[in-house]
Parts: sequence; C-alpha cells; structure tokens
Amino acid sequence: MTMAQGRGRSLLTVTAVAVLALAGCSTQREGTNSSANGSGACEGSSDASAQYKQTWRKSASALGLSDVEAPPLEVCQVDTAEYATEPGDDGYQVALAAQGPTNSWALTNEEAFRYAAEQRDVEVLYASANGDATKQVDNIQQLAAQQPDAMVVVPMGPGITGQVRAAAQQGTPVVLCAGRLEGNHGAVTTVTRSYEMQATLWAEWLIERLDGQGKVAMLSGIPGVPTAEYQKAAAEKVFAKEPGIKVVAKEYTDWSPTRAKTVAASLLAKYPDLDGIWSDSAISDLGVVQAYREAGKSVPPLTGDSSNAFLKAVQGSDVPFALSAFPPEMSTQCLDVALDVLKGEPVPDFVNVEAAAFTDEQLKDYVRPECTDNLWVPSRLPQALLTELGLC
Amino acid sequence: MSTTEKAQESQGRQRRVRPHLNLAPVIGIGAVLLAALVITPGFFSSANLSLVLFQVGFIGIVAIGQTLVLISGGIDLSVGAVIGLTSVIIATQSDGADQRLPWALLVAVLAGAAVGAANGALVLVRGVPPFVATFATFVLVQGVIMWWTGGAPSGSIPGALGPLGSGRLLGLPVPVWLFAVLALAGAVLLARTTFGRRLYASGANPRATTMSGIRTGLVVGSAYVACALLAVLAGLVYAGYIGYVDAELARTLNLDSIAAAVVGGVALTGGRGHMGQTLAGVVLLSLLVVWMVQLGTGPGGRFAVVGAAILVAALSQQHKLSFRSLSAKGGRSR
Repeated sequence: MTMAQGRGRSLLTVTAVAVLALAGCSTQREGTNSSANGSGACEGSSDASAQYKQTWRKSASALGLSDVEAPPLEVCQVDTAEYATEPGDDGYQVALAAQGPTNSWALTNEEAFRYAAEQRDVEVLYASANGDATKQVDNIQQLAAQQPDAMVVVPMGPGITGQVRAAAQQGTPVVLCAGRLEGNHGAVTTVTRSYEMQATLWAEWLIERLDGQGKVAMLSGIPGVPTAEYQKAAAEKVFAKEPGIKVVAKEYTDWSPTRAKTVAASLLAKYPDLDGIWSDSAISDLGVVQAYREAGKSVPPLTGDSSNAFLKAVQGSDVPFALSAFPPEMSTQCLDVALDVLKGEPVPDFVNVEAAAFTDEQLKDYVRPECTDNLWVPSRLPQALLTELGLC
Repeated sequence: MSTTEKAQESQGRQRRVRPHLNLAPVIGIGAVLLAALVITPGFFSSANLSLVLFQVGFIGIVAIGQTLVLISGGIDLSVGAVIGLTSVIIATQSDGADQRLPWALLVAVLAGAAVGAANGALVLVRGVPPFVATFATFVLVQGVIMWWTGGAPSGSIPGALGPLGSGRLLGLPVPVWLFAVLALAGAVLLARTTFGRRLYASGANPRATTMSGIRTGLVVGSAYVACALLAVLAGLVYAGYIGYVDAELARTLNLDSIAAAVVGGVALTGGRGHMGQTLAGVVLLSLLVVWMVQLGTGPGGRFAVVGAAILVAALSQQHKLSFRSLSAKGGRSR
C-alpha cells in the first residue's frame, strides 16, 4: 500500500466516522404546545382558551400546586367548512405520518390510532419515519400524493415544516399530533400535551418540595431535539425566578437509562448534596435511581413522564417524585379532531391534551405490576389490545 | 523456510525494527490528569475514579475487538447494534429468570457470531468495503430488532447478570477486570501467536500475504467474529449494569470503541497497532468522558473534545506515515 493510498484511506475513514456520528443524532418523538398555525381563518375562542387553561389548572392541582397559572396564549377557533366532505363508501381515509415503532411510546401511539380508526370505520394510510425527520419528509409527500381526506402528522422535527405546508396547500387538512411545528406550517390544528406545561409543573413541584431552597440538576433527553429543548428552556425560566434554587448541572441522558445512570453517578460524585433532580423522562429516572441506590444514598426528589417501569422500580421505596404523563393514546384524540375537521366543525387551533399528573403518594393508583416495563401509565387502551401488544 | 514463514518473519521483523512507541496518548492522559488536578480537584475522589474504571470496562471490552478488526485492515460499525441485540435476546429468551439465562446466553452468542460472520463474508467474499458492510449490518440488525419486538421488547434482564455490570471484585468494578483479562489475552494473541502475526500481515498487505499462502480470509473473518463476540459480552455487561432493555443502545453506533483504538494509535489503515495502545486510548477516552461531566460542558464539550482527540491521533498517524515514506524514498535513492 502506498503512502497516498494509506493517507487517503485514513482520511476517508475518519470523515466517514464523523459523518456517521452526526447521522446517529436523529430525532425522536417531538415537541408540544402551542398555537399559531398559519392555516388562515382563526378567531379567538373563549371556550378553547378556557380548555387550554383548565388543563394547566387540573395538572397543577394534581401535583398539589395551587398558584401555577398558564402563560397567556390565545387559542383560536378554526373555521373548517372548506374541508367538509362526505365519507366515501369505505368511510374516511386518513393518513398517519407516524414516528414508527422505534420504542414502546411510539408503538402504543400508532396502535391506539389504528384501534380508534377501526372503531370509527376510518381507513388508515400509514407511513413510518423510523424516528427520522428526513424520512418523514418523503413520507408526507407520498401520503399527500394519495390524496387522503385528512392527514395526521406526528412531527419528527422542524425539517418537515415545508412538506406539511405543501400538503396543506394542496387542500389536505393536516393535524399535528403529539408534537408541534413553529412558523407557517399550514396545519389546521395541533393536538398535544404542552411541553411547557409539563416542564413548568415539574419545576414548580420541585421548588415547592424544596421550600424554594437547594441545589438542582437538570437532565434532558437528546441535545437539539425540540422535545428536550422546549422543556429544558421552560424549566430554566421557572428556576431562574427562584433565587434560592441553584441549578448546578445541566446534562443530557439521550433518554437512555444506561447513560442516565452514568451521568447521575458522575453528578453524585461531584454534588453529593444534590437536593433535587429535574428530569424530563421516567426512563432516564430509572438510571438515576440505580446510581443513588448503588452509592447507598437516598434518591432526591425527581420528576419525569409516566412509565410503568419507573413505578415498578420505586414501588415499596421512599423515592419522592412527581410525574406527568405524555400519553401515547393522544393519537386517538388527534384522529377525532381530524374527523371533526372533515365534518366541517370548528376546532381549536391548539388542543392541550389532558393527562394524569401524580406524585409518589398516588403510586399505587397508577402502577401496573402485572404489565410490562413498556407500558405508559395510565393507559386508556382496552385490556385486549394491551395483551395483544404484549404490554400486559 | 517456507514462503509463508518468510512472510510472517518479514512482518515480525518489520515490527521489531520499527516499534510503534506512540507517546501521544500517554502524554494526553498526563495532560488530562494534570488539568483535572488544577481545575477540578474533586475529580480524584474515589467515587469519580470508580466511574472512570467503569468507563474503562465499558469502552475497553469492545475496543479490544475493534483493535483486532482495525489491525486486519477493516472497521466494525455494527458493534452498537450487536450490544442492543444482545440485551433484547437476553430479555426475551430469559424473561428475567436466572435458570433460563444459559439458553439466552447461547442464543446471544450465536446471534453475535452470525453478525460477525456476516460482516466477514460481506467484506471478504463479496468485496464490500468494511465501512459499508458493517454499517449495513448495523442497520439490518436494528431492523431485525424492530421487526422482532415491534418496538417494545418483552421480558426483563435476569438478576444473575447484575454483578457482571455493576458488581465489584477486590474493590474494582467487574467490567474493568473483564477488560484487563481480555486485553492481556489480546496482547498475547497479537504478539506471541501465529494468528497474531498473520493478522498483522493480512492488514498490512493482504495481497502479498495471500500470495504467500496464508488464508487471509479466515484470519480477517475471525477478527470480525471475535469483535462481534466481544460486543455480545459488552451487551451482557450493559444489561447487567442497568437491568433493563435499553432501546437507545441499539440505535447508537458506539463509536467510542473506534475512537479509543485510534486515539491510542492503532492505525486506521491496518497492519499496525497493539493492545497497549488500545489500553492507553481507552484510559484517555474514559478520563475525558468523566471529566467532561465534571466540568459540566454538556454533550457539546464532550463531542468536541473526543472528536479533537481522534483528529489529532489520525493526523499524527499521517505524519508518521509521511516521515516513514520519505525515509523509505531516501533509502531507495541511495
């Protein structure tokens, strides 16, 4: 082998490894909350705004927080008369641009959608993005080409905005589900649980639990993924208003319990007196709990979404926590809103999905010991479907 | 002396004449330790050093396999998928029951060996570049996992695996013991056995080695299988460490093993490197990983520092190549 060949090969390999490292940083399930869709006819609606605020109040109340107010957000009522259409002989045809079954949340999200569609005699056109925004751009294009009556998109990232707008411009009403897009995306409405709400409630609960004094670490999912970044930013705002709370570390866990355990062990070594952990994921919390237990230390108050694996892991212990669900079954609600659009009924441009929020005191009401670690609790899916999916 | 023996002797002599005393990773380790001492004195707490040792074990086990493949002139990007696959197999086949663990282990080992053999076959039989072949396998295994589990792997990890990942022996983490034993075995394999000499020869000049009668296909294929089996072991260690099927493990390329070997000085061009270099790279990378968390740099800082270390290592290798080439030219002109 000549020197030039060796050098060329070496450089090629290093470059390729670097490219792959970047490619490995793909997105997962996406962002939440809010508003302005750019689809046009939108009038302020007191009912829709009240629903948005009520979801905040209910969730805050469930965590024992009395003075948390939803940030101002004008929710509009969208006139959908232009989309009104009669179902075909086989019912409505609704496309689902899904994340793809890359994890149990996405699997449940999609199966709940299929189940609801079957119940409502809706034909589903399905495309899986395998968790990748670039793939989803193609998916949306291909689904739109089949001219479905409506399209439900679980957004994988801001990169799909143009394709969503293109689908909307060809006359297909689009519902963004379990995530959100910014700017002029053209979707009729967004149906999701507000990420800002989740993050704020977790932060407020920690502050209350710590009486406004203490050192806190923040654990987020994958850097750069909107789901993680929106929540992190919202929590930072809350903590910034509390002079007694000192955020001593901000780390990422990749939503991997293995990585979370390593990170938590490092934090524990550096801050043995950590008072609380703000986390955006109960899956990451699994690693945190293990790190503390192996170090022989009490687990500080921590937060996250609502996983059966975590509840089973801490059942019978004194781990203090506050969880707020990001229910995969919200896809059912997305389908219902899409059907409302096809009937020409006005819909809010943002639906803040209601879901369970609870603390360690209510653990026994939510844990499902007979079900697997993959279940997201509380589940509204029928038992037969949970069994079929191997979740219970 | 037969042609084969002459080729091996030639390779061995070449290595003896030009020992690869790459001090860069050792200097790097010293620099990190010194910087840590000045900037973050708490870095040298027993808890932190224990974390470094855990990292050494996690990264090192796969890095040993990666070293074998790199020396053979290849690269293995499928190790992350094999680690994830192992975790899924253990959970589904044992369902958390210790008595079913032997069966689950057998299936995991067979699956790992199959992936390694597939990598070797793609590279050797079909002539697919190692980078492409092993990346294709990485994607394929991910697809198999998704198809098999539907995105939600059933079962759980048996408790008997726990000590493998999070246990301690004589005060040190079990993974670091595993790494130490395997690295020693790997060092002996490379330096003292016929297989080792043939591996170097196959990586340095596969055509000449083949022409000298060595079955390079078997040698290189064995390296891929060994790498996959070590990834299986790493999968078992990870499964024991966390006790859950971690879906994210199968989705990451696990480039740390390549980074460690390359940072240590193992050549990406094949035919050069030894376990001592891998050990140095593993230790340096582990120190950096833990220190970055201590510094609170976030993932950006970690990626930047590790990436810079890889680049420096690769550039220093090129520099050495240039120097040698010039020396060789000078020799010929005389």
